[in-house]
Amino acid sequence: MSDPVPLLAVTALPGAGGGLAIAAALAIAAARRGGAPEGVILCELGGARRPTLLASAAAREIEAGLTGELPVAARGALCWVGLDPGSWRDGLDRCSVSGASLVVPFLDPSRWRELVAEVDSSPRGAVLRADVPRRRALAGLVAAEARRDGMPFGVVTKAPGIVPTRRAMAGLEPGGATGARASRLVTRLLRREQGQALPLVVGLAAMLVLAGLAIAMLGAAASGGARLQRAADLAAVSAGRSMRDDHPRLFAPARLAAGRPNPVHLDPAAYRTRARRVALRAVRANAITAPSIRVSFPGGGDVPTRVRVALRGEIEVGGAGSGEAARAVAVAEAGVPAAPAADARPSVARGGGYSGPLAYRQGEPMRPDVATAFDRLAAAAARHGHALVVNSGFRSDAEQAALFAANPDPRWVAPPGTSLHRCGTELDLGPSSSYGWLAAKARRFGFLRRYAWEPWHYGYVAGPSPCSAAGDRASRSGDGRLAGGGLPSFVPSRYRAPIALAASRWNVPAALLAAQLMAESGFNPFAVSAAGAQGIAQFMPATAAAYGLRDPFDPRRAIGAQARLMADLLRRFGQIPLALAAYNAGPAAVEGCGCVPPYAETQAYVARILGLLGGAGRLAPPELEVRLVR
Amino acid sequence: MSLQRGQASVELLAGIPALVAAALIALQVVAAAYTVHLADGAAEAGALAVAAGREAEPAARAALPGWARERVRVSAAGGRVAVAARPPALLPGIASRLEVASSAWALPADE
Repeated sequence: MSDPVPLLAVTALPGAGGGLAIAAALAIAAARRGGAPEGVILCELGGARRPTLLASAAAREIEAGLTGELPVAARGALCWVGLDPGSWRDGLDRCSVSGASLVVPFLDPSRWRELVAEVDSSPRGAVLRADVPRRRALAGLVAAEARRDGMPFGVVTKAPGIVPTRRAMAGLEPGGATGARASRLVTRLLRREQGQALPLVVGLAAMLVLAGLAIAMLGAAASGGARLQRAADLAAVSAGRSMRDDHPRLFAPARLAAGRPNPVHLDPAAYRTRARRVALRAVRANAITAPSIRVSFPGGGDVPTRVRVALRGEIEVGGAGSGEAARAVAVAEAGVPAAPAADARPSVARGGGYSGPLAYRQGEPMRPDVATAFDRLAAAAARHGHALVVNSGFRSDAEQAALFAANPDPRWVAPPGTSLHRCGTELDLGPSSSYGWLAAKARRFGFLRRYAWEPWHYGYVAGPSPCSAAGDRASRSGDGRLAGGGLPSFVPSRYRAPIALAASRWNVPAALLAAQLMAESGFNPFAVSAAGAQGIAQFMPATAAAYGLRDPFDPRRAIGAQARLMADLLRRFGQIPLALAAYNAGPAAVEGCGCVPPYAETQAYVARILGLLGGAGRLAPPELEVRLVR
Repeated sequence: MSLQRGQASVELLAGIPALVAAALIALQVVAAAYTVHLADGAAEAGALAVAAGREAEPAARAALPGWARERVRVSAAGGRVAVAARPPALLPGIASRLEVASSAWALPADE
């Protein structure tokens, strides 16, 4: 069943002229709303009008359909129909099935009221022509009724002029204010309403689902890029892990004592190859298909500690076949810890009467020869059922001051600067159940009970005197760590004596100096670096001048200056890794961050020397950290 | 007259459940996509922990927002860390079938 043709009912209060012209103007505006002129009927009671010479095709079509049944005339854009006052309803019914898109009846107020009040009829709007202010009250009453009935309603307060009236009655656009007003009124009253919600709802629902899918696809595209980056990160970290694990093997002897090849030893080329293989394995394992993969080792020379993985691949955007090129780069490092741990123990004593290397027993620092003697003492005690405990060893003056402040009684705590603990030779031993055994046996191992009232306090008296220059050099410990004694086997024989002499003079571990020379120049006294560092110890000219080294290519003098510089740096930074970093990158860089600076060259330099010391059995192998740098 | 004018309102009223359903579907799709992203990140964090010699599961869970930590299963073996995650359930019965999985590999500390 087709929808009934809408009506736009127009009337005029008595005395208000121009109502029919208004109705005609509204009909014309309605006919011209769309692109092509629509068929619109203007009805009036009685009367007879002639067709105009020019009329729209739609008006002519309606005219042809109604001819013979009703007085009808196609006039311009509209089709005029005369209604019989006695059967005007029949006439309207006929008009509504004539094919017109709108019927605009101009009726007297009583018929207009009757038509508008009928809920079953099809008016879509009502228009009243009234003179305001003269008929304001009556017009207001009619408007209120229309609003109460929910009827779109408009009031026209001015009659059109003569020309617009004539044009409108001829079916022509009246123009001017009349035409504009009619057009606005028609737009407001005939706003299309029925049946629009469903497409709107369907459209909105589709838009919501599509928006969700679009967001998910965008997310997938971003995720594709992120996955490439993830693969690069994991490949770099895996390669870094390989380097971390393999690093100590670089410094293991190439041959065992019997001359057989050492299976633990790894040469630098194999070290890099293994890291590269692990990186490729990680890329494949992380489901990146056939990207371009580049693995490189920036900085660090032969023994790098940094690896760079660059991937180039395609990520899918919006389905198969729509790939987009993407690139990801990651750099990882197997480097020395960026900053010493909070509980890192100093390698060299500072702030007391002893300033040589420190050895640790049960976490307590002491002179290395004291540590060796303690080992013998503890072993003997253990054989007699006593597990000796070291409660205190070397104490700096600051630590002693803190103890004295907590218990300021000289009978129990020596004032700062007077305690023998500042010499690194004194140990407070326990438990109390061992005091008897210690009193009887400790002397045999070089330990003397210092005070009758302190059964726990023993001093080592078999070595150099406490707090003496000889004591500072008493680093011939049996623990094999920072001993200045045996030099690593990689030291050429002609440099063994100069290194031992410099180490002894400046109280720096000889193995440390040897490892540095190996890393700096490979013991080549004529080496010159790209940055301008010269000689066996790779002194920059300014640093050489500051240390009174006139000829950096003189290996004996260069080694002496190197030992002096390292002694200064060890005193200043307290930690071997920091002192080495300062030697390579300059003290300012280390002081700025309190760490090994994050330069690839410095990281590799420090790691290599620690590795050399570890491989030579002079220091525990460095615990490198694997971390993403970029 | 009034019947016609009420038609749009009736259609709009009837369309509200459809709109709500469409919105839920859209949000469920977005939630599933976001969960994929989270699972990827968690798997990577777990694999990085494996390479550093740490436990994978705590690291993977720590990489997730609080609401998602109880919605994942993490397993690790031989350097591979697998994460299965359930997206938030906006449509009961469907969310459980939208479980997403991601995995990542890094050289383990003991290899």
